[in-house]
Amino acid sequence: MIRRTILTLASMVLLAGCPRQALFVVLPNAEGGGTGAITVDDGKTMTTLDQPYAAAESRAGSSAPVEESREDIGAIFERAVAAQPILPHHFRLYFVLGSDEMTPESKVAYRTVFDDIKQRPVYEIEVIGFTDTVGDAPYNQALSLTRAAAIRGALVRDGLDRRAISIAGRGKHDLLAPTADQTPEPRNRRVEITVR
Amino acid sequence: MGFTLLLAAALLIVTAGIPRADEAAPIAQIKKVTGQAAVLRSGERRPANVGDVLLVKDVIETGPGGAIGITFIDNTVFSAGPSSQIALDEFRFDSNDFRGAMLADMRQGTLAVVSGDIARSTPGAMKVKTPTAILGVRGTTFAVQVNGDH
Repeated sequence: MIRRTILTLASMVLLAGCPRQALFVVLPNAEGGGTGAITVDDGKTMTTLDQPYAAAESRAGSSAPVEESREDIGAIFERAVAAQPILPHHFRLYFVLGSDEMTPESKVAYRTVFDDIKQRPVYEIEVIGFTDTVGDAPYNQALSLTRAAAIRGALVRDGLDRRAISIAGRGKHDLLAPTADQTPEPRNRRVEITVR
Repeated sequence: MGFTLLLAAALLIVTAGIPRADEAAPIAQIKKVTGQAAVLRSGERRPANVGDVLLVKDVIETGPGGAIGITFIDNTVFSAGPSSQIALDEFRFDSNDFRGAMLADMRQGTLAVVSGDIARSTPGAMKVKTPTAILGVRGTTFAVQVNGDH
């Protein structure tokens, strides 16, 4: 027991003398949201890091948790973090029943989407249309695609690159607010937009 | 004879039109470049430019004063600091159900990551390999530094 402790201590001292090969750090989430976790597996042990600024390092091929100050972490990753692109953003716009016309509120919100895109040096946009459950499947499939196309049309009219915008329609699948069939539901009459 | 040649020519045309799924599809786009940055593809090194797309197996590299930021089609964001080398070894993503898998080989340098749809929808499917350990991502913002040979 004592001998094992001495051996462990000795190996720790030896490891500390070896150069650091790698450092793994959890960073605070850039735009809120709960902190997730990363695992570091060196083939012998698995270290889980699940708090902001929790860190692990590798020395002589072995990985273990390590205390690293926020200042040091900030300095080590300053240039990498500074190179981070604007993060992808998601938006929802809503439509009038049975139409590809946006609701008055969403016509205002559309400007927010447009402004988000415009601040990006390069962009890719995905627009996916959805409907509520009023009407049959083929009708809603067509309507959902028409809604996505309407948004793409507006973005292109406002000067964005058509080739950077993809559209798709999901009809009355993937309801945001689950309802019975043939139910008008404003929250389901929407497009979901990803901007990156 | 003539027919065989014709058939061969037709086959050539047909197969030339089929993109190889693992190589042809863009998996990411370069969003930001500072200083020296390059993409290594099929043994050829070309300068990295904002707007360029990246393919699976591409290697991104930065020089001593360089940095690069890229966004994957699953909305994962990578940004690498100076003197970095990261190989995009594996990438699969289905935009219908958001499932997929990703393996990046971090050989050297610094890398900050904001994970995207793959890590969120498929626990354990996003991994960053380093010379000493494999990092598994459960969905978060994290950073990795790999030091070169001493």
